[in-house]
Amino acid sequence: MAYFDVPEIEYNRYSNRQLAAVPLAVLAVALLVLSGSFLVYGTPVPLGMDFAGGTELTVETTTPADEIPAAFDQQPESVTGAGGENQYIVQFASSDSQTLREQAESNLAQNGDSEIIQSISSTSASFGQGSQQTALMGLVIAFVGMSAIAFLLFRTFVPSIAIVISAFSDLMIPLAFMRLVGIPLSLGTVAGLLMLIGYSVDSDILLNNHVLRRSGDFYESTYRAMRTGVTMTVTSMVAMLVMGVAAFLFGIDLLASIGIILFVGLAADLMNTYMLNLSLLRWYKFEGVRS
Amino acid sequence: MNPISAVKSNWRILLLVAFVGFAVVALFMPGGIVADNSVGGNESLQDSPTNLEFGLGLEGGTRMRAPVTGMAAEGIAPDAVSDNGQVDQDRIDELEAALRGDGAEQLGLEPANASVHVQDDGTVVAEVFTDDVSDAEFAAALQSAGADVSEDDIRDGVSQRTRDQIIETIQTKINAAGLSGGTVYEQTTPNGDHYIVVEVPNMGSDELRTILSERGVVEVVAYYPTESGNQTNETVLTGDDIASVDPPQQPQSRPGQSSQGYVVPVQVSEEAAPGFQQQMNDQGFTDPSEGMGRCSLGTINGTVDFDHEGEQYCLVTVTDGEAVAAHSMGSSLAETMRSQEWANDPIFQMGAQNQQDAQSLSVNLKAGSLRAPLDFEESQVYSIEAAHADQFKQYSLLIGLLSVLTVSGVVYARYTDTRVALPMIVTALAEVVVLLGFAALIRMPLDLSHVAGFIAVVGTGVDDLVIIADEVMDEGDVSSERVFQSRFRKAFWVIGAAAATTVVALSPLAVLSLGDLRGFAIITILGVVIGVLITRPAYGDILRRLLTDR
Repeated sequence: MAYFDVPEIEYNRYSNRQLAAVPLAVLAVALLVLSGSFLVYGTPVPLGMDFAGGTELTVETTTPADEIPAAFDQQPESVTGAGGENQYIVQFASSDSQTLREQAESNLAQNGDSEIIQSISSTSASFGQGSQQTALMGLVIAFVGMSAIAFLLFRTFVPSIAIVISAFSDLMIPLAFMRLVGIPLSLGTVAGLLMLIGYSVDSDILLNNHVLRRSGDFYESTYRAMRTGVTMTVTSMVAMLVMGVAAFLFGIDLLASIGIILFVGLAADLMNTYMLNLSLLRWYKFEGVRS
Repeated sequence: MNPISAVKSNWRILLLVAFVGFAVVALFMPGGIVADNSVGGNESLQDSPTNLEFGLGLEGGTRMRAPVTGMAAEGIAPDAVSDNGQVDQDRIDELEAALRGDGAEQLGLEPANASVHVQDDGTVVAEVFTDDVSDAEFAAALQSAGADVSEDDIRDGVSQRTRDQIIETIQTKINAAGLSGGTVYEQTTPNGDHYIVVEVPNMGSDELRTILSERGVVEVVAYYPTESGNQTNETVLTGDDIASVDPPQQPQSRPGQSSQGYVVPVQVSEEAAPGFQQQMNDQGFTDPSEGMGRCSLGTINGTVDFDHEGEQYCLVTVTDGEAVAAHSMGSSLAETMRSQEWANDPIFQMGAQNQQDAQSLSVNLKAGSLRAPLDFEESQVYSIEAAHADQFKQYSLLIGLLSVLTVSGVVYARYTDTRVALPMIVTALAEVVVLLGFAALIRMPLDLSHVAGFIAVVGTGVDDLVIIADEVMDEGDVSSERVFQSRFRKAFWVIGAAAATTVVALSPLAVLSLGDLRGFAIITILGVVIGVLITRPAYGDILRRLLTDR
């Protein structure tokens, strides 16, 4: 494995404006994607079965994948391979799991002794609606709680708001990514987003702590914070990527979506922490009005 | 160094070792630390090498969440309850009649589909358990009985008492189906919707759905000719009239008479027995020259075929409105009824076609009927085959190992110093072991979401250890104990702050009922807490020994 060290970036070559411009532009694009999607589709991100309702069957069958849709009266939303041999995940918009199960059992070819239906999961639209509200509420509470802690820790406006803004951006960028790539919002991705609120703030706290609470040169403190923070974030990113990819190959949706969302969110966090948060901090340290 | 000061200076490491040891015992000691095998199946414990319990997603089984069908009007008719809590039963009956009666404004519902009762707080609530009645009709019917209700007072859903009864009934039914480990509970969403959640390991969704969709309203109907010669039906016993139920049995065949079907011996309640006896006598069932032994109705596809010639005197078992078996009055029973002695020892046998029907009849009688049906239109179903779940178990173990390996690799690549990296990885793993031990101790059923939580714990754990390592080794080697302490304290401020945000971010998930994610949140929060209190201080001590003692 290659040895890796955190490079020292010569921040004094860039102005605060230049530094902040990149993450703010990315955030603006993300917000544009989300609001555009909201206007066109009615939701900022595609809603998965957990929130929009529908049925997901995991079937084990010797019927080839392209002939699976013909087994059902209703056209499946998607048919994807799932981990094991001859296993497929078939998704439907309908939540009538009874009928779908019967059709699968009578029209698909059985693979040896294994049951055709390996797993079935269905959510009615109204139940999904309720989950949607609950999930949104959870995200808002988590975000507000995190912001409150940030203000409590640093008790000064600019450094605290810097944390809140970059955490906000850390959430919006993966959401926009989900819309662009077409990953639907599921319980797993919501968990990923909540985890992201917790994870992404760590590096911001570390940076603020080194710059504000330690004596020493701004750039030296920044470099020290970066050395630790980047190691942390990269470690988590690699772990999440491995978990996401492995889970995707094995057909475990929940772990795959948590992994991918955290990977993208943490990548966004690297940018936000060391460009947006840092430029705000530098402005505060050198030009800001001390309260 | 004397032993006491050795313990004193290494107490954090010793604490971690103690916790890991305790966790290992909790994980692997047969029977577990809490020797309580009454919960869950014993057999599942013995075929696995650990004491960990797995949830549906990793064990196989079915979970259904569904709301209850029905609507309720609360706080109607304050006049029915006086200030001292005296309930005017006549008034309650009057209101109930408005729902069950066939009058102009009345709803004409089956008795099982309407209820009026006084709640614990002294208010009266009226409920109907069907979708066939509109809010307006319901309100109008109650108004016809003089209740002060408008259409706006009607809400969807049923009362707490009804939900409690449903949960109790379903629990009995699942237990009676011979499955251990099934659980039934109520879940309330933040916007006030109530769901009944049923989880049963090792049962398919179709089977569970059959059990849950059967209302289980059992009646005994007398089918006999009136004086004008026409056959008529009259309900003579309902489920409420049955005091106790014995397991189903096959009646002993008497010579010259082929034994048909199965019977479920029941004891009729003291209140209902004399009435039933009287009815049987009045209707001619017990008269040897009239109705005794005169029933020859057969069945088609499991329901009684009422196409016949001549007079029939049958006791028909009706389940959920469907006649499932018809039996004649036996001579010995008829005799005790004629002599009026039967009511003193009111044992009675209810008929069923086959053993399976008899079993379900017995369950329905024991559990009572489902107070209100569940609304499967708005349900959520999750079901997984045991084999597939087992696959998930292996995969998630593999994913967990892969993640740990990756993290170790990155950490080593970053520090290239085994003295720092190795304890880091070992400490992070110790954290997972402690958590697993805790899960085994409290018998928390592990699911996929918990696995995600464990991986997240390794992630946050290593992050914090990186903070400690970097901070402690900051300006060259650590020369003295005091320098170490001050740096360690600084690192801990950041760790504490980071832990606080993670806990705050995930706590809504641990409290809100958002399906499968609760486990993820609980494990991650627990992991962070254990990490901050036990494992991270211990890692600091390990680092100090490795760096200062040389």
